[in-house]
Amino acid sequence: MAKRVGGVVGLWDDDHTLVSAAYKVRQAGFVKFDAITPFPVHGMEEAIGIKRSWIPWVTFIMGATGCLAGIWLQYWTSAIDWAVNVGGRPFFSGPAFVPVMFEMTILFAALSSVAALFFACRLPKMDPSIIDPDLTSHKFALFIPENDVGYDAGRVEQLLRQVGAKEVRRISEY
Amino acid sequence: MSSVSRKPLILGDKTYKDITDDICGPTETFPSKGWFGLFLGAKALFIFYIIIVAIIISTGMGLLGVNHPIAWGTMIVTFVFWIGIGHAGTLISAILFLFRQKWRTSVARSAEAMTVFAVMTAGIFPLIHTGRPWLDFWLLPYPNQRGPLWVNFRSPLLWDVFAVSTYATVSSVFWYVGLVPDLATLRDRSKTKIRRLIYGVLSMGWRGSARDWTHYEMVYLLLAGLSTPLVLSVHTIVSFDFAVSMLPGWHTTIFPPYFVAGAVFSGFGMVVTLLTLVRRAFPVFKDYITIDHMEVMNKIIMTTGMMVGYAYASEFFIAWYSGNPYETYAFINRATGPYWWAYWIMVSCNVIFPQIFWFKRFRRSIPVMFVVSILVNVGMWFERFVITVTSLHRDFLPSNWGMYAWSWYDSAVLFGSFGMFFTIFLLYLRVLPAISIAEVKPVLYVGKKPKHGGQHG
Amino acid sequence: MINNQNTTPQSESQDAGSGIDYWLSLEQYEGNLEFAKRAEGEFMSSPLKTEEGQGGFARREFLRLMGASIAMATTACVRRPVQKIIPYAQAPKGHIPGIPNIYTSTWFDGVEGAGVLVKTMDGRPIKLEGNPSHPMNLGGLSARAHAEVLSLYDPDRLKAPVRNADGKEASAKWEEVDTAILAELGKGGVAILSSTLPSPSTRALVADFQKSYGARWVQFDALAVDAIVEGQRRSYGKSGLPRYRFDKAKIVVAIDADFIGTHISPVEFMKQWSKRRKPGSEMGRLVAFESSMTLTGLNADDRVRIRPSQQIEAAFAILNAVVKASKGAAQVPGGITAFLKEYDQAAERLGMSTELLAGLGEELWVNRGKGLVLAGGLATIDAVEVQMVANLLNTVLGNDGHTIDHDGAPFLTRQGSASELAKLIVDMKSGSVKTLVIHNLNAAYVLSGDSGFSEALAKVPTVIYTGNMNDETGRLAGFVLPAGSSLEVWGDYEFQEGVVSIQQPTIQPMYESRSFEESLFAWAQKSVSASVRLKGAKDWYDFVRSYWKTDVYPKAAEGKGKSFDDFWLHVLQTGVVDTGGGQRDRVGSVRTFTGTVAKPAVTQKQEGYELALYPSVQLADGRYSNVSWLQELPDPVTKMVWDNYVMLSPATARSENLRQGDVIELTVKAKTLKVPVHIQPGMHDAVFAVSLGYGRGQTGDAGKVAKGIGVNAYQLVNFRGTQPAVFAGQTVSFKKTGENYLLVSTQIHHVMEGRQIVVEATNAAYQKNPESGIHRHKIFSIWPEHQYTRSKWAMSIDLNQCTGCSACVVACQAENNIPVVGKTYVFEGREMHWIRIDRYYKGAPENPEGAFMPLNCMHCENAPCETVCPVAATVHNDEGLNDMSYNRCVGTRYCSNNCPYKVRRFNWFNFSKREAPLHMALNPEVTVRMRGVMEKCTLCVHRIRQVQSGIGQPTKPERIRDGEIKTACEETCPTDAITFGDLNDPTSRVSKLFADKRTYGLLEELNTQPRVRYMSRIRNAKRAESDHGHGAPVHEAPAAGHGHGVNSYKKESMNTQHDEAEA
Repeated sequence: MAKRVGGVVGLWDDDHTLVSAAYKVRQAGFVKFDAITPFPVHGMEEAIGIKRSWIPWVTFIMGATGCLAGIWLQYWTSAIDWAVNVGGRPFFSGPAFVPVMFEMTILFAALSSVAALFFACRLPKMDPSIIDPDLTSHKFALFIPENDVGYDAGRVEQLLRQVGAKEVRRISEY
Repeated sequence: MSSVSRKPLILGDKTYKDITDDICGPTETFPSKGWFGLFLGAKALFIFYIIIVAIIISTGMGLLGVNHPIAWGTMIVTFVFWIGIGHAGTLISAILFLFRQKWRTSVARSAEAMTVFAVMTAGIFPLIHTGRPWLDFWLLPYPNQRGPLWVNFRSPLLWDVFAVSTYATVSSVFWYVGLVPDLATLRDRSKTKIRRLIYGVLSMGWRGSARDWTHYEMVYLLLAGLSTPLVLSVHTIVSFDFAVSMLPGWHTTIFPPYFVAGAVFSGFGMVVTLLTLVRRAFPVFKDYITIDHMEVMNKIIMTTGMMVGYAYASEFFIAWYSGNPYETYAFINRATGPYWWAYWIMVSCNVIFPQIFWFKRFRRSIPVMFVVSILVNVGMWFERFVITVTSLHRDFLPSNWGMYAWSWYDSAVLFGSFGMFFTIFLLYLRVLPAISIAEVKPVLYVGKKPKHGGQHG
Repeated sequence: MINNQNTTPQSESQDAGSGIDYWLSLEQYEGNLEFAKRAEGEFMSSPLKTEEGQGGFARREFLRLMGASIAMATTACVRRPVQKIIPYAQAPKGHIPGIPNIYTSTWFDGVEGAGVLVKTMDGRPIKLEGNPSHPMNLGGLSARAHAEVLSLYDPDRLKAPVRNADGKEASAKWEEVDTAILAELGKGGVAILSSTLPSPSTRALVADFQKSYGARWVQFDALAVDAIVEGQRRSYGKSGLPRYRFDKAKIVVAIDADFIGTHISPVEFMKQWSKRRKPGSEMGRLVAFESSMTLTGLNADDRVRIRPSQQIEAAFAILNAVVKASKGAAQVPGGITAFLKEYDQAAERLGMSTELLAGLGEELWVNRGKGLVLAGGLATIDAVEVQMVANLLNTVLGNDGHTIDHDGAPFLTRQGSASELAKLIVDMKSGSVKTLVIHNLNAAYVLSGDSGFSEALAKVPTVIYTGNMNDETGRLAGFVLPAGSSLEVWGDYEFQEGVVSIQQPTIQPMYESRSFEESLFAWAQKSVSASVRLKGAKDWYDFVRSYWKTDVYPKAAEGKGKSFDDFWLHVLQTGVVDTGGGQRDRVGSVRTFTGTVAKPAVTQKQEGYELALYPSVQLADGRYSNVSWLQELPDPVTKMVWDNYVMLSPATARSENLRQGDVIELTVKAKTLKVPVHIQPGMHDAVFAVSLGYGRGQTGDAGKVAKGIGVNAYQLVNFRGTQPAVFAGQTVSFKKTGENYLLVSTQIHHVMEGRQIVVEATNAAYQKNPESGIHRHKIFSIWPEHQYTRSKWAMSIDLNQCTGCSACVVACQAENNIPVVGKTYVFEGREMHWIRIDRYYKGAPENPEGAFMPLNCMHCENAPCETVCPVAATVHNDEGLNDMSYNRCVGTRYCSNNCPYKVRRFNWFNFSKREAPLHMALNPEVTVRMRGVMEKCTLCVHRIRQVQSGIGQPTKPERIRDGEIKTACEETCPTDAITFGDLNDPTSRVSKLFADKRTYGLLEELNTQPRVRYMSRIRNAKRAESDHGHGAPVHEAPAAGHGHGVNSYKKESMNTQHDEAEA
């Protein structure tokens, strides 16, 4: 959704009718449409048909990387590059190196997950077009982009009214 | 959840809009006299703190009571204290989230904020307690030309560097991610350009499309999943500072769970203290942070309090059971030695007083819980004092025995740190939504007859 | 002269490579043009300037300066005469920076003397070591001797002569001072008052001076032992101070004679006694009868508490026991046998068991000729009689001539007599003394008792004081002439007959000071009736040299077959010669006891308190009270610092309801003294003991450090005209003032809590099982240990030899630039000593046994401190030393917390700052630590490296001989308790000692594997076995804990509980 597209927006002011509406819209064959809600609405994914997020993979891979980085850092510095007798302990003091490995794992995993989120949601966004300021407070919306299959402004507006939109707007870009 | 779902989480007949208005209100109105009073007080204390720290750094650690044999004192004690405080926030926001405890939603935001600020406050101490603070960066394993020269990864203090910095980073990121949707709300409500700009930048153009929410919830879940072991590890590692050493009274395997329990304990104590104040400052929040919320937390305080009490008891048992004369002496000395009073303050504040929460009447009484929560934190500060100072002051060789030379600088840094914490916390109350809007809305109808027969809960 | 000297260098330089190559004389530098040039440039730069009084100090290398002065000699503007001094150990050709030059010299503080080696670095004397070739101290040195270096750099020293007139002081020039004084001397009535000057050439000079001006000379010692001298005269007809032979004694009985701490010559005595303390059948045994708690008492195998007034009774009781044991074989003058039976019940009057007394008599009798009864130190009213009974005992037991040497090499120190002084004071009062020269004796201070000296002094028109400060005496003197430090001037000493040692200057006088001898020389030479010897001599140095030529050289064994110049060289190199013809070690002649001892009035007062004035190990007569090292040196017995106090027994404190630090006002013969109370286990319940040497310069006259420290107990000394002054046994009463004063000690808990710390066993148990008392632990490591292929440095400390004298503490402080922190910070637990001496009590607090444990860094192979340091500032090196790199240290102090021995010290503030010129005493080989870093014992790693890298040697050594490297503490230890060496060398002493059955590691159950190990303490006591067996004591001494608990009070309320807890 890099380039902005126009389309039709329907506004609701409660969430569960929105869900059923979204379901109907999907029935009508639309696929690219999206819902805009002030908070995550249950069942919306199923209604719109959004797949499970792929971010956990990033988390896992980066976590593993962090762990390895931790091991490598400690092994190389303590046993290879500067092997010095510290308190008569072995150069590679395995047990003593666990905490740092662990922390590195968490750090890498957490930060990379957030980075992935930003990527997935295309954040940060410069001046996003706000359809309606109340969408982050108490209003809910369905948006059907003009590039969706079988898009026809008139029919779409009609459809949205049918499924109970309190208000339908045609917007130039989203 | 079923147990919780019977009671309404949010009182009053609220709509989504009401929620938005209620929570955003404090950030949009002019601060009250009361707030100003508190803020100026805290700020003055904060400035005083900065001056004191400057004096200590420029003159030497000797200004504090630390000496030989007690090389760690107020600064380490207070460091552990603040780190502990932080834990409740992460616990509420992460662990309770994983357990799907819906009641957490109203308190999570402030608890997390407390975490972040407490860790900030705590983080200062290890940095300034060193003899040469301007060289603290030597604790980082960075490539250098003195080399080969690296840090010693066997030292618990180095584990601390990693643990605390990771904890600080992750918990603030977690907190921020949670804030993004609410910042968007503030952005969209903002009347003035400047507010719009600031919150616009902070919310990074969040719009709340369903696809975004999917990723968002997933990441939130992941962060919760990561923070949980992290928060446990942090205080475990902090406890290693003591447990890994040889000192009788420090060298104990029970420390990690004991410290974590203590941390949660003190953390909840602080949450209750703060939220009672918040409820007082913003009466409208009473509908969100209800007496039920407080009661649940009081239950946790009592539970963890008893866990801590168990730890104290088992320490003594092991000291006796181990047959190790040094350890035996160390613990007898704690209870009956020169610092007996510190030990008994600790025990009464942490184990005895919280027992009052067996009674529902007191569990639900704001004044009672306020007093108890403060006592809990007094007790927990003394716990760390007892562990640090009384273990050090009499160890293996009687010829080393000594007493801590408490100076007024010790008091200054201790109280000054509260100035820092409250200054930041008060600012937070004014500029950020103190309750998570986006998290509260979904639970609006929990335990109520939904207006439109929604099937939530 | 210069030319013929010139030939020497060539001949000398032949044997370069022979390891150490001496250069013969400074003149030889003449040959070295390059040197001369450099020197000339050098010379122009600073030293001469400073000599011309443009401020600053003569910092430059002394050799270079001397050489330079010769360079100048050619231009005939030499200010100082050319004098030769010869480095002892190594002398570079020309000056190589960073290589110490070591000179032989002699140290004497009016109380005790020792042969020393002065280590100068770049021309600055930085350290004194004992001279191993000196037959008295044999390389050992006392704590006070080390302090001489710091007093050389004392910022408060007078920098020029001073004239005191009507309350105002004005600095003066030597020229005008001399003219003024010469005028006065001309008027006659000249007298010299000094402490005993055991210096042959000084005595000769004084004699000549006396001839020149018809002056009289009175010697008096602050810590007088004239009772002994007098006792000898009345017993044997010949006065003198005999030399005791502890090395020959199997049983020693000391009656109020603290020979390990302060009596006559402790270092020599400890050297001797330590030889007798090797456990086994031949082990010597020490029984102490004492009123105060002293080092001797703490080291005694059996100790009996007596009142000072009971000294005589104790002596008679022993005599009685001996006679009984001898079944009448003992020859005792009839007069005495008559009343001897009155001492049959003495045991219970002395509060000792009859068995112990009888057994003692038995022992003494059995070991005839191998025993030693020693009395004196705390002079009572009947001190002379006590001496006579002791002498009689030694004669009866045939010890005289065996363990007591009166004609071989008796002491020439401490000959001062109260009677001479009394006469002088009378004449001063009568006004017949016109000019009084006071030297080496702070008369106004040490005679502040009822001697009437000060009043008498007021009657003397001209008083000349050759002191380094305008102090108590200086204020009363018209002329105060700074005599400088003994490290700045020529001199010689003869502490014991036949042992003549040289004193070499090791630095240019730092200020416009002139030694007493130089002054005397200058004045005496001016007189018309000056002796030939005086006229002949160019200057004082020339005088000394010619005296040695005429009087020492012919008698000295070392002189045989040598030209005088070679002999002189030899003297300068070894520092000491024997003019006694090897008399020292031959068995002395046996004398017959001719004295008559009257029956003492047996008025054993059993009630009322008695006063005991004792010299402290740190300050002795008090002359070093401006030396911070000594002020901060914990008293070996009480562990107190920066104060003196009155010591009471716990029982007395309880009955009189006195707490630690309560200020009481003592009253002795209408004289009063306010002094804080210190509760000291082991004191006799009737004794109030106050140490001398403190309370100097309340006005700051005695220097900034001494200002306001302690009280002056000399005020309570009772002078009895011609009789020896009374230091002990006077009746004392007290009243409370209600004030409480903060007394600070470095140790606040004094019992071992049943832990294996100082392991003790009786000699009997040891002979059955050498490991007796040591509980060995089964220890294993879960990881493979590191191998040390090069050297493996280790140290063994023999707790049986250690007497707790604390010389090592100051030696370490001097060697390692360890800062002094002051009373307040010691109180807050910030003292910096790298080696400390822990003192533990065992047994009942009334009369506890003592145990000493020197504790420095243990250099553990599994060092707990290292693993916890986040920045690896402290790690192991490949020789197994626990290194501390200061510049890496961030100062987390975790290492200190994790050190089970708590031997690490932290720079809480910028302690290393020193007032100029004290910084000149810094040892450039040891880093000066900044604020915020941790420090600790390095086992003198710089000394190790110096030997390893062969500095000052022609080549790097293949392998290091055992004993070639000595740590500072080891080198100075008077009892050789400390041994340092390489464990990888199976033949090294330390390897052998580590294999010894007595050796154990402190807290070894922690598997720290300390490289510093201890050897168990063996007590040759007749006490119950049960007291000893295991390291765990049977009884603890709670009161000990109590008394000292109070010292650990901190400002904050949290500590108010403390003494209850300690109790």
